[in-house]
Amino acid sequence: MSLYTIRNLAVDIAGNRPVEDVSLTVEAGQCTALIGASGSGKSLTCLTPFGLTPGVASGSMLLDGIDLGNADAVRIRDARRRLTGFVFQQPLTALTPHLTVGAQLQEATMQAGAARPPRRELSQKLERVGLARTDERLDQFPHRLSGGERQRVMIAAAIAHSPKLLIADEPTSALDASLRAEIMDLLDELRAEQGLGLLLVSHDLASVEGHADQLVVMDKGRVVESGPASDVITDPKEDYTRRLIAATPRLDEPGPKLPQPGEILLETNLLGVEFARPGWRRGKLRALADANIVVRQGEALAIVGGSGSGKSTLGRAIAGIGPVTQGGIFWDGLPLPERRKRSLAMRRLIQPVFQDPVASLDPQWRVEDIVTEPLRNLRPDLTKVEREELAQQALSEVDLADDFLIRIPASLSGGQAQRVAIARAIIGAPELLVLDEATSALDPLVGAEILKLLGRLQVENGLSLLLITHDIAAARRLCHRIAVMEEGRIVETGDMQAIVKDPRHPATRRLIAAS
Amino acid sequence: MLALITRRLMTAIPTLLVIILASFFLMRLAPGGPFDGERPLDPATQAALQQAYGLDRPLWEQAWLYISRLVQGDFGPSLVYRDFTVSELIAQGLPISLTLGGLAILLALLIGVTAGLFAAVRAGKATDKTIMMLATVATALPTFVTGPALALFLGLWLGLLPVSGIGEGGAWLIMPVVALALPVSGAIAKLTRAGLASVLKQDHIRSARARGLSETKIMLKHGLRTAMVPVASYLGPAAAGLLTGAVVVETVFGLPGLGRYFVQGALNRDYPLVLGVVTLYAALIILFNLFADLIYGWLDPRMRDG
Repeated sequence: MSLYTIRNLAVDIAGNRPVEDVSLTVEAGQCTALIGASGSGKSLTCLTPFGLTPGVASGSMLLDGIDLGNADAVRIRDARRRLTGFVFQQPLTALTPHLTVGAQLQEATMQAGAARPPRRELSQKLERVGLARTDERLDQFPHRLSGGERQRVMIAAAIAHSPKLLIADEPTSALDASLRAEIMDLLDELRAEQGLGLLLVSHDLASVEGHADQLVVMDKGRVVESGPASDVITDPKEDYTRRLIAATPRLDEPGPKLPQPGEILLETNLLGVEFARPGWRRGKLRALADANIVVRQGEALAIVGGSGSGKSTLGRAIAGIGPVTQGGIFWDGLPLPERRKRSLAMRRLIQPVFQDPVASLDPQWRVEDIVTEPLRNLRPDLTKVEREELAQQALSEVDLADDFLIRIPASLSGGQAQRVAIARAIIGAPELLVLDEATSALDPLVGAEILKLLGRLQVENGLSLLLITHDIAAARRLCHRIAVMEEGRIVETGDMQAIVKDPRHPATRRLIAAS
Repeated sequence: MLALITRRLMTAIPTLLVIILASFFLMRLAPGGPFDGERPLDPATQAALQQAYGLDRPLWEQAWLYISRLVQGDFGPSLVYRDFTVSELIAQGLPISLTLGGLAILLALLIGVTAGLFAAVRAGKATDKTIMMLATVATALPTFVTGPALALFLGLWLGLLPVSGIGEGGAWLIMPVVALALPVSGAIAKLTRAGLASVLKQDHIRSARARGLSETKIMLKHGLRTAMVPVASYLGPAAAGLLTGAVVVETVFGLPGLGRYFVQGALNRDYPLVLGVVTLYAALIILFNLFADLIYGWLDPRMRDG
């Protein structure tokens, strides 16, 4: 008998039925992965049977002989306490900020009724999930830990009471690429070691490939396709699955045809950025050091690195929205001064696009106000009518219809919002776009569409791109050249295809292995 | 932590100096003087008094003299209560005000946090709405209404509690403390509820719930502490206000606290007395805001790292 079986699950929230007719099984010691875009109902499917969402689950849900479908809140809580462990997406917020790591781990260990564990045992639990200096960690508050460390603590807490089923809701999506692989490997080991069943939720097919035994693909609240993972990936039956697989960038796909770059447009010379340390501590924090990059007209350069590698600091410095403390930036051979001293004409040249499309649009404004804002500042000579015409033109370039002009950001999907953000960036006819993780918050299908759109702007408008990302495979679809960053320095740079084929620096190898 | 304390105390000195100088000159801008009684004194006596207290010297010199004495801990003589120094008057009034204010804060916290907790647990239900309505009423009612009302019901009609002055035991404290605490407790109840409502939506509460903890435990262990951050920031200035004496309550219940001296001093142009009380208020406000900052760090360790 399977460890966990769901048959014909439906979830109702406030009169809606966002999940319907979902069936899946999780075997002890195996991994079932639930794949789907955001809003496909995959998290609701996993969490609602355990009473962790506002929704109501109906259908048959059988966990280790307990019928969750007919259990009351007390029984369900009891099942959570004894049988399941949960890992959530946001390691930054999933731990209680005012309790030490040790206190939370102790609570988790005792949740199924175990006696108070000795400190040494807690320390061993942290060691098991790959943390170093565990004794010190026990007394630390969560905010002192990095994202990856916190996610390891979450995993240690989730398995501390020896549950039978581990439910991991996007456990790696908030982490950078090389950490993702490490966390997935850890989950594999724990599964084998403890006979733990794993129900894994992800929007990213690539990250579960090689880890999942069973694959369930969801779209719009229903199961599209399910079966053994290798079969689904190598021989997808449904069109949606096929599109999903095609949208996921892979390093072994054929290289793209890119336009021929022209003259040198942007050049940095030993660019460096230092910040004052936070709090009362002395000294400076070196976020970027000795960065030399070159971007030609019509060329795309990928800046790739893990989180904290300084890639965003570099992008912000170039876009004129972050500080520069050393070195210089040159445009067409002329120095580009720091942000406050840039003239309107200089500001027009470089425009940024950010990671979180919804957060980067003012929620109170209409799309028209958002898209025309750069014109109001950069081109005071234009009339309102001219601005409106340009806004329509910009929207059509990002494949949005005119009626989007009167919409507000809250009514846009993630992909539409990012298109609006791109329209805002290109309306002033810039020559270089700085894209900071512009596709990583999006679902693979939507992200692939945005990459395609950027590729088109690159060819048709002759735009140069600076693509800041942790995902080499995605960057390879657009970029001529790559610069790999680690700890504030560019450690390897050159032709994209050549470096993917023959990476020299360990950081590059790690990033390639992870994608 | 220690660095934070020393730094804050260092910035307190110039702040205090500015406050003292500003009140010094502002008070002198107001018309009238300490010796303008109902029956004007003859000019010779006026001049003699002025000279005795150094009021005939240039203003800046007087300011300098005042501050240099203050540094040595001397608040100067009272110009109206002629047999007392300001230090003596403060020493008389401060303990009463501190007792009243301290008890009022404790009572307000007890009522406010409990009410806020209940309201948050029953969010959206009748209990929640009733508590929040009562909190609004409590916040809105001024002490010059609740004070006399309490005195009327409990003191005059029922004869349970003394109406005026300091009596034997602690019974005389009850009504003034309640009157002082009520509006503050209403505000604390609202802040606690709002704080909890936003904390209970956060991810770490879901993590705690996933562990199968009871709702009470989730609320008390994982929710309440971070939810108290807004309460702490409100309590800093509120505590300074309460401790330094609530003028109205002291007047209503005839208590010789600091607040009364402050008002009397201002009306009588008793410059040293007003300046002394202002300096004390300012120092206490700075001190309580420092406490609030230290409490933040305990409530939410993320704030310790700035």
